[in-house]
Amino acid sequence: MAKLLDKQRYKCALGAMQTVQAIDRALPILHSGPGCAQKLSESTGSSGYFSPNIFPCTSINEKDVVFGGVKKLDSTIQNALKVIDADLYVVLTGCIPEIVGDDSGEVVSRYEDAEKPVVYAPTAGFKGNNYRGHEQVVDAIIDQYLKKSDKQQKGLINIWADVPYQDLFWLGNLRELEKLISELGLTPNTIFGYKRGIENINKIPEAEFNLLVSPWVGLGNVKKMERKFGTPYLHYPTLPIGATETSKFLREVGKFAGVAEEKVEAVIKEHEDYYYYLISRYADLFLENRVINKQFTVVADAQYSLAITKFLVNDLGLIPAKQFVVDDTPKNYREAITEEFKKLNFGIEAEVSFETDGYKIHEEIKSHDYHGYPLVFGGYYEKEITEDLKGNFLNISWPVQDKVVLDRFYAGYEGGIRLIEDIYTVAVSRFN
Amino acid sequence: MAYYIAIASSNGKNVDLKFGETRQFYVYEIEGKDLALKEIRYAKEKDAQADGASSCNEGGNGGCSGSGGGCSGNGGGCGGGAEVIGKVALIEDCRAVVCKKVGFQAQKQFEKKAISVFDVECSVEEALEKITSYYYKIDNRQSLRSREVPTEEV
Repeated sequence: MAKLLDKQRYKCALGAMQTVQAIDRALPILHSGPGCAQKLSESTGSSGYFSPNIFPCTSINEKDVVFGGVKKLDSTIQNALKVIDADLYVVLTGCIPEIVGDDSGEVVSRYEDAEKPVVYAPTAGFKGNNYRGHEQVVDAIIDQYLKKSDKQQKGLINIWADVPYQDLFWLGNLRELEKLISELGLTPNTIFGYKRGIENINKIPEAEFNLLVSPWVGLGNVKKMERKFGTPYLHYPTLPIGATETSKFLREVGKFAGVAEEKVEAVIKEHEDYYYYLISRYADLFLENRVINKQFTVVADAQYSLAITKFLVNDLGLIPAKQFVVDDTPKNYREAITEEFKKLNFGIEAEVSFETDGYKIHEEIKSHDYHGYPLVFGGYYEKEITEDLKGNFLNISWPVQDKVVLDRFYAGYEGGIRLIEDIYTVAVSRFN
Repeated sequence: MAYYIAIASSNGKNVDLKFGETRQFYVYEIEGKDLALKEIRYAKEKDAQADGASSCNEGGNGGCSGSGGGCSGNGGGCGGGAEVIGKVALIEDCRAVVCKKVGFQAQKQFEKKAISVFDVECSVEEALEKITSYYYKIDNRQSLRSREVPTEEV
């Protein structure tokens, strides 16, 4: 468990109800105390057909701690099936029932023959944060709902990226990754967001391979699918932002999927031509030292910390100060992620710290010599300190307070351009 | 420190009465893990009157047969407000009360006095065992964990 002292940047595993909510027409059923869905109240973009305020919940109290809450869970599932029209019901347990030992799995197994699928994910807070909870939900779907398929669709690729809602740009990023994969002549399959849902979940076992775009979140899932369905996986640890990384990404995916090299290169060329046309038009702005800072720091989860560091070094030629990964990355993944931070162009290596204590992060930012004003990417917590240091700040990771993102994205070539726009919008506004 | 638990029961064997209909509470005294029946407390005639079978028909038309008699309307339950308060006062030195069902008004009254309410249907023995083991654990700062749960799986 993390020793979190200051500035929490994630939620408990039960926050995985957001992962469920991101699946069209999937409903979380909470076996938890009343108010456990309250942790989502700060997030935006979570109203709609189902919203956290109406998630069915057993609202367990002292009596259920003493006498067990399984009866209430049973009736809550039963009635949710009756009154709420969903395609998939995911029972999520909070800390209390897990501690006192309610056998929630057994209760859920009574609904194996229900008309609609009901699955169960143990998401007690003491088991980890919502990044782990996200994996638990996907695991539950693989283990309890999906079955091995004897047919396989040639060219069908399941894409997995980071955690919906926790990742501000999840929807746009997924759509952009889908678009890039389609351009290679492959068929992407994702389960989150508009018009995906249960039909896409059903297609998961038929895929030719799983594509995981994340440093560590979801790695357990794709390994599980390899074991259960025999689906191989490609683990691409960096969310591609900008031309350098996206071209690398397309080449690797193309190679893995057996797409003709000329085809991959043709796709890359078309994108890069436009990308560099834009870059060259604004080169005067980029080269003007007065505008942009020399060194930068990213304070974000592994996904964004790594992706933005690579983009800023490889595409914009900036120098990394220390980078911070704040998602409480499990220890066994840390070494590989640290290595990724060393794979930058021009022989540059970035130092990375896995730190969840906001106070310590801020102390390090304050004491570092950025050779001028710092450029800080982070959660809203970093806004004030960056202002104190007269630096430039961009809010790219949770918590997000100063921007609204509907379906914008930073992934891919276009995403890189959007990020440049955002960075330079902040930078140039200093002089106005 | 010793504490009391009040149980609504017709025979001392099962928790079989609702708070509104019971005339007596079996009060147990618990010291650590030892427990003993201390006494049976009876509701005063006027407190208990209202929940005679005639005025309180279970789940019928709202539980109260009429506006007169024991149903005071604003009490919102069998016997009305004064009745609830009288019965709550009868066991206000207890730490917990166990009944088959406890109405909303009575629950609020117990809450105000920091008395835990357990509305369960089971044997007196089972109720006592579960509640006392729960209190024993929290009083001695022990984990409520009933079995070992792995915290780190990676």
